[in-house]
Amino acid sequence: MTPALLGNLSVALALAFSLLGLALALLAYLQGDGRFLKGAKALASLTLLSALAAFVALEWALLTHDFSLAYVARNHALQDPLWVTLVTPWAALEGSLLLWGLLQTLYTFVASRKPLDPWRASLVLAVLFGIQVFFFGVMATIASPFQTLPNPPADGTGPNPLLQDHWMMAVHPVLMYLGFVGLSVPYAYAVAAMVTRRYQSWVEETRWWTLIAWGFLTAGKVAGMWWSYEVLGWGGYWAWDPVENASFVPWLLATAFLHTAYVQQARGAFKTWNFAFVTLAFSATLLGTFLTRSGVIQSVHAFAEGPVGPAFLGFFLLSTALGLGLLSRVSREVRDVAVFRPFSREGALLLGAFFFAGWALVVVLGTFYPLLVEAFAGAKVSVGAPFFNQVSAPIGVGLLLLMGVGPILPWRRPREEVFRNLYLLLAALALGTLLGLLRGYTLGASLAVGLFLYNTLAVALLFTEGVRARRLAGLSPWSFLENRRRVGSLLVHFAVALMALAIAFSQTYRLEAEKTLYKGQAWEVAGVRMAFQGVRALDEGRRFAVEARLSTDRFGEVRPRLHFYPQMQSPLPSPKVIYTPGNDYYFLLMDFDREKGEWASVRLVVTPMVFWIWVAGVLMALGTLYILWPASRPEAAREVSPA
Amino acid sequence: MRGWLWVLVVAFLAGLFWWGMQRNPRELPSVLAKERRPAPDFTLPLLPPYRAEWGETFRLGDHLGKRPIVLNFWASWCYPACYEEAPVLEAAWRKHKDRVLFVGVNTQDKEPEALRFIAQFGLTFPQVFDPRGRVGVDYGMYGVPETFFIDGEGRVYARRAGAIDEATLEGYLKELRP
Amino acid sequence: MRLLLLLLSLWPPALAQEGPPPDLSPEVFRIARELRCPVCQGESAAESNSGVAVEMRRLIAEMLEEGKTAAEIKAFFVERYGEWILYEPPRRGVTLWVWVLPVVGLFLLGLGLFAYFRPRRPLPKELLEEAERRLKEPPA
Repeated sequence: MTPALLGNLSVALALAFSLLGLALALLAYLQGDGRFLKGAKALASLTLLSALAAFVALEWALLTHDFSLAYVARNHALQDPLWVTLVTPWAALEGSLLLWGLLQTLYTFVASRKPLDPWRASLVLAVLFGIQVFFFGVMATIASPFQTLPNPPADGTGPNPLLQDHWMMAVHPVLMYLGFVGLSVPYAYAVAAMVTRRYQSWVEETRWWTLIAWGFLTAGKVAGMWWSYEVLGWGGYWAWDPVENASFVPWLLATAFLHTAYVQQARGAFKTWNFAFVTLAFSATLLGTFLTRSGVIQSVHAFAEGPVGPAFLGFFLLSTALGLGLLSRVSREVRDVAVFRPFSREGALLLGAFFFAGWALVVVLGTFYPLLVEAFAGAKVSVGAPFFNQVSAPIGVGLLLLMGVGPILPWRRPREEVFRNLYLLLAALALGTLLGLLRGYTLGASLAVGLFLYNTLAVALLFTEGVRARRLAGLSPWSFLENRRRVGSLLVHFAVALMALAIAFSQTYRLEAEKTLYKGQAWEVAGVRMAFQGVRALDEGRRFAVEARLSTDRFGEVRPRLHFYPQMQSPLPSPKVIYTPGNDYYFLLMDFDREKGEWASVRLVVTPMVFWIWVAGVLMALGTLYILWPASRPEAAREVSPA
Repeated sequence: MRGWLWVLVVAFLAGLFWWGMQRNPRELPSVLAKERRPAPDFTLPLLPPYRAEWGETFRLGDHLGKRPIVLNFWASWCYPACYEEAPVLEAAWRKHKDRVLFVGVNTQDKEPEALRFIAQFGLTFPQVFDPRGRVGVDYGMYGVPETFFIDGEGRVYARRAGAIDEATLEGYLKELRP
Repeated sequence: MRLLLLLLSLWPPALAQEGPPPDLSPEVFRIARELRCPVCQGESAAESNSGVAVEMRRLIAEMLEEGKTAAEIKAFFVERYGEWILYEPPRRGVTLWVWVLPVVGLFLLGLGLFAYFRPRRPLPKELLEEAERRLKEPPA
């Protein structure tokens, strides 16, 4: 039993089981026979096991340096550290497909365990097995991770150096995939609901799934932002790169869904919108995987092109067609009636959902505009970060305003006592903006301060009202913490406001400069004084590193590096980042005197408040976890009305 | 009516992305070639083997307007494209030596590597040295290799990005001949 | 130091260096951030480490020293690479639409919301009763 044999066998088995599962699930729906459904559910565990076996086979091949596998030869080297070897499965195309397939089987297995009426359960499983059939089908035919080489080399080239510079490589892709694959379950539920015309109950059932997928996506995106910041040597965290956008769009749609689902649960409105959000979120996910693997759009994230492009295009089109087709039927059969006033919580949530959807649409427009123009006008245009920033800013402001006011507005129609709170919020907004302007910040940054105060006040108001309601009802005020959904969402909203403030300041006040320093020479820039003391070379096996020693007045000795990898033509700067609550100081070694080590070219990037973006990310993750944590006493978790 | 709107959407996306996959997303049009602009002049030092015949420095302006010029940007680290086209260019130079001037610009490279490359292919047409790539920016270069075809009046006629093959090269040369 | 020399001797690109690169002021980066790198096309000229981007930054620094304005510097690059090199799509010509469409979308959104909340022709009796019933329900 070699890794290749185990791998190929497992992939084939996973494909066979998925096909069988798909057939059984469809038969269960068409024939209404419960035994088919039981069989399909049993197959879910079999596909999980075979996918796991395939993944283990790939790790086995990597850990034993089995270079007879083409994947290992291309992406692994003998001198790779252990952790790099362990994450190599998702360093390249075929392995990433295996990871995706494995996570999909995991989600299918868990979904099969959830109680659901047999009609919809069979459809949900059919959709999930269908997705598995695609991924394992691609792995079995055109992009096999277990393809063997007739003449195995003695050593491989190792993974892309950009992927082995930082441990975040172990974390970010897995989180992202958990998020992406997680969106397939709400999609399956939505399809099942649309086919069986059970238009209401699916929302409650998928809330947890969507929250879990959303949580992973959020964590994955923040992790990616941090990785980009720490590793890539440009001091930024978001580039509006097409693949980043392609993962941002599902996140936006999933966020919209989380909020409108709440309304449908409570009020029965937004039925079509909810189906649309979930379906489009999943389609956007597939579009993202298509973009990364097809070479349609130039991106720093793209895998090397291969033959999988047409396959992914076909799958994306199929799932989009299925979703849109069902949606058009739903929209004809369901009529939403606004039984609420615009100035109510439903109204705020509706407007917010529109803003999210609008933002998603604008991002899609900007990302694909160059492609469209090239197709129809033959001209090459570029739509870069300035466009996305300028268009996102007003939408972001609108969303931040709604985020504060939405939870305060009552359902259906406004009430008198609410206006007092609204005036308070507006006062906070005006005060914050004014304070910012007085301190000399730009209008945008001052508005960001105002919005932060506004949202913090909103969270505080809601918190105190929740506690007060409990006290009035004769319960302990701390029991408010049992209302996990409320408390968790307050925490997440606060984190969003914090992140918005941090992003506004870091974009407005970023400063970078580059200077060549001779030994002993000092440089004073942006409140930092540094002196160049010399360079030092280190041989780290898989790479050479050159370290510059900079003595600074505030941070001691700082040592940014340049990494020289054999397979890269130019060296990779590895920055030294000093995080402080105020500013981040980002030291980069750009170049050095290769003959005598007499000078070094150092770049310093100073960005305010970036530190708080990561704090906000952690808070968002914590808030989501808090919501998802099983409530110990479900009755205490219900909302208590003050009157 | 709403019924088949989504079919149109899906069909449109299918067509757009299928077309997208067929073309190279990195490709950039050459502004100089599109507008038939006069070729930007430059003065660069020649690499040592050519100094005997051409002097210490080479000024493109001395040769513009006299006869067609084939200007080729290359680098020793550009593998495999530059390695594929070097023999093609050398053969064409030897064939059309009296009618067309071939000039090579070694860009973003180190001199010893460039000399090694030249020796490997026995290139006899003049090679200039542009380590910073300044001339490349003037020509709107976005990768190596790139070959510019300058007509007899000193205007940029066409630009080929990527390794050039014999058929294309001969084709352009035929169009350039007066 | 010995290890450095060993490193240099083993590393071919270390030879024949041109001399220390020029200093780049924050203004250089501000302008470079608005230009696309032609080689690493997903990155701006400020971020990219490719040779062309390094040269572009150097040119920007030189032009700033000569007293050129940001607009003139950007025009310099547009003249050579076309408008594609600008990170921000110009607000004219074929890229005008990418700016206009979001505004149009916002307008359509406003129209849609207005239509959604406008009182329509009276609902069938059963729906009205259902709506009334839901209005009387306690909030969840």
